Amino acid sequence: MKHLILTSAIVAAFAAPVGAETLTIGTATAQTGGLAYADVPTMQGMKLAIDEINAAGGIDGATKIALLEKDVRSDPAQTSIAAQELADAGVSVIVLPGDSDPALAAIGVVSSAKIPAISTVASSPTLPQIGGDYMFSNFPGDNVQAAVSAKWAWDEGYKTAWIVYSPDTQYTTMPLYFRDVFKKLGGEMLGESTNTIGQQDFSAIATTIAAQDPQPDLVMTSAYEPDFPSMLIALRAAGVTSQVIGSDGIDSPTTFSLGDVGEDVVFTTAGFAIKGSPLEAFDKAFEQKYGSAPESIYSAVGYDLIKVIEAAVIVAGSTDPTKIRDAMADLENVQGATGLITYKGTNGMPVRQVSLIRVKDGGRELVGQPSPDANLIPAPRMQ
Amino acid sequence: MLTSSRRQLLASGGMIIMLSVIAVFVATWFGPATERMLTVFFISLTAVVGIGVYSGNSGILSFGHVAFMGIGAYASSLLTVPAALKGATLPGLPTWLAAVELTLIPATLIAMVFTAVVALAVGAAISKLEGSAATIATLGLLIIVHGVIIGWRDVTRGAQSFFGVPRVTDLVTAAAFCVVALFLARLYRDSSSGLRLRAGRENAIAAGAVGVRIRWERLISFVLSAAIMALAGAMMAHFLGAFSPKKFYFNDTFLLLAMLIVGGMSTVTGAITGAVVITLVTEVLRRLESGFSIGVFDVPPIFGTAQIGIGLIILLAMFRKVDGLAGLKEWEERVLPRSTLLAPAALPPVGARDVLSGKGLTRQFGGLTAVDDVSIQILPGQIVGLIGPNGSGKTTLLNMLSGILTPTEGQILHGGRDLTGLSSPDIADQGIARTFQNIRLFANLTVYQNVLVAALSTHRGKDAVARAQTALDWLDVMKHAAADAGTLSYGDQRRVEIARALACQPQVLFLDEPAAGMNREETDALMEILRRLSADLGISVLLVDHDLELINQLSDRIMVLNEGRMIAQGSPKEIRRNKAVIEAYLGTGRENEN
Repeated sequence: MKHLILTSAIVAAFAAPVGAETLTIGTATAQTGGLAYADVPTMQGMKLAIDEINAAGGIDGATKIALLEKDVRSDPAQTSIAAQELADAGVSVIVLPGDSDPALAAIGVVSSAKIPAISTVASSPTLPQIGGDYMFSNFPGDNVQAAVSAKWAWDEGYKTAWIVYSPDTQYTTMPLYFRDVFKKLGGEMLGESTNTIGQQDFSAIATTIAAQDPQPDLVMTSAYEPDFPSMLIALRAAGVTSQVIGSDGIDSPTTFSLGDVGEDVVFTTAGFAIKGSPLEAFDKAFEQKYGSAPESIYSAVGYDLIKVIEAAVIVAGSTDPTKIRDAMADLENVQGATGLITYKGTNGMPVRQVSLIRVKDGGRELVGQPSPDANLIPAPRMQ
Repeated sequence: MLTSSRRQLLASGGMIIMLSVIAVFVATWFGPATERMLTVFFISLTAVVGIGVYSGNSGILSFGHVAFMGIGAYASSLLTVPAALKGATLPGLPTWLAAVELTLIPATLIAMVFTAVVALAVGAAISKLEGSAATIATLGLLIIVHGVIIGWRDVTRGAQSFFGVPRVTDLVTAAAFCVVALFLARLYRDSSSGLRLRAGRENAIAAGAVGVRIRWERLISFVLSAAIMALAGAMMAHFLGAFSPKKFYFNDTFLLLAMLIVGGMSTVTGAITGAVVITLVTEVLRRLESGFSIGVFDVPPIFGTAQIGIGLIILLAMFRKVDGLAGLKEWEERVLPRSTLLAPAALPPVGARDVLSGKGLTRQFGGLTAVDDVSIQILPGQIVGLIGPNGSGKTTLLNMLSGILTPTEGQILHGGRDLTGLSSPDIADQGIARTFQNIRLFANLTVYQNVLVAALSTHRGKDAVARAQTALDWLDVMKHAAADAGTLSYGDQRRVEIARALACQPQVLFLDEPAAGMNREETDALMEILRRLSADLGISVLLVDHDLELINQLSDRIMVLNEGRMIAQGSPKEIRRNKAVIEAYLGTGRENEN
């Protein structure tokens, strides 16, 4: 058995030779299990980017990219083991799963090996904060999304707001960031309600909001399926006419199939494929490679992840992990499929363009793609 | 008290330490990734053996033990996370808890005690349930604890990551804690409590009849196993540094149970085998699924094979080895069997002093009255024969007298004490022992263990070893002491059952068809033994059998039941002439035909 392990380790080493002209990216992502819904499409986008770069002769025409893939089965302990194996194999960058738990479990490995690590789609801004110098996020942070939607609401002339959030997860507390930004801009908070994830009945919350006189100009939440549709239906049934603002969690077909109730809902998400945009080009290239359109925005975000690494390697002029980390932390305006990405001045959390989408006639309408104002982005919340 | 030979325990302990040390050295030689893999292996093995302490010994599969792992993880982490970080991440924490900052070992010990207390409360309820009802209840436990951890946000951060836990579980720590857990599990298995629980697993009714309080033993093992799970949880928390409630839910439950079932639930050898096999197979598949090249061929990554592999191993194990790869015995029990030559120790006879009497005993099952107003008296040292056609209520009467059934009406007195409504272990403790019509031995325990359990569970276990040996000697089954009871011939099994009852040092012995299935010679030998029990030891005997020759020759007095009623009693001579008895056995002739 020892021989088998040894042999397969040697095989793995040969499959991914580490040389001066090759950049080896190690992925310890959730290809199976509960997080596969995010990490599998992300990996497709990453591979598309790698194929494009290698077809063009490599990064800067010189450095080819090789992938060393590990499946962590959505398990934190496996992530920590896989990250160590990748570190031992001498990879230059490690890609971690799109959830805080497994990503955090690998912190010890990446910081002691001094290899930069990027989580595929984790959006909690606390991740890079806890993770230290070598931990980066790739997805627009919860606080960034909230800053964008609050600014848009204020500019639209909405003066009063109500938030509905769930303390159950970091993601569902996004409205607390919204509250902070909205108040900073001068808006007034009329109140807030909490729900639990998976709550069946939102009528109590809906009646409370409907009973306000006057009703708030807007209701903001980061609830997602199945909570968001029930909440929205309850609000409208109770007679709440306020503008409803959501987050990228509701960027799914369900939201566009709610009929009249769903109309005019506005939410933030990572990108929108307007004509001639990089995202439209990405979608086309994706369909060509895989035979079908990307199933979610995660694929484009995965493409962006590789573009960020490419940019960092160009600046660093080397595949040395520490140099790549330093270059990555200083990147500005990298062109990705979803827009421009900046790490400079942040704590490892990217500043990305966020797209605001409105549900119009059961389809998506672009409201705007503002670059978030760095001064407005609230500090990550630890609680 | 430990019930297995010191030689076996030393062999087991030595092997555990040796394997652990070798594993640690090999892993260190391979490098940090293998060290991490082995650390996780040791934590998993600790958890597997923790589940095994309860499920293996009691025979009740538990889906809920990972909940205790979660409680241990959260409890220990709350004590080790730096106070400053707790202030930032858990502002709602009670001040006394927020200020605590312990190192791993004290925090782990406190977490184990806390988890054990929780398990005591939960176990008190679950130990009342049997078989699959208990299994489903443990599933409820897993779901409830998961819900509580998510809901108790001030202390647990809810469903969010609980982070900032010092990463102090290294390979050596994990190995050392795992060795401790394996020792605990191994010693418990052969402690008197563990042996009693295993007897209960083999046959609950028989275990009760020799004085085993099965719920109490289940509770002890439940609490111990919960503490071991807490140890595994604390190690896991301090290995990962960050975790959330979903780490301690169905995924890990499945993986750990797979290890336990594949290896074999009832032994420490099985737990180790299962953990090793599953880990090796997943490690190999995991390396292959990332893609590899054979010569010029490149095999692309295919993920998901590890889970399929585990599934296939379970299927294979279930088809080929239902009791798991290691079976029902520890390796050292196979390699170093207990010496069969035990020096028989003679114990002075106790002798019956008290009259056992049942007054107006009635037992109804729904509308059927199985026993109807029967009074019975057994005088000290007497052999009383109880006969009657099939279905006449003999076994029901015996079950009432031995506490297995509670009489619907009537009273049972022994000396001055009222035994009505006492449980069968209580009755056993009053000096009343029995055998069963369908042999109820603890089939997978050795003959010696069968008898020892009875001795340990009565008279507070006083002189248990000597009593067990005397009983084996009396029934002439000492030569089979090391054999599994289930492997003996029918006649020998009957004798072992009587020896087991005798080891309870009873005043009264109930024998339900002891000669069934024996040939004439065996029956005669048995008759001789029974006569001596009564004559030499002064034990009262209530004998049920269809062999009228046996009954006639042995009994001082005979009672006859028919359709639940006592139709006659008297000396063998009187009974032979009794008209009612003849009618009951042979029919009434022409009168009934009309």
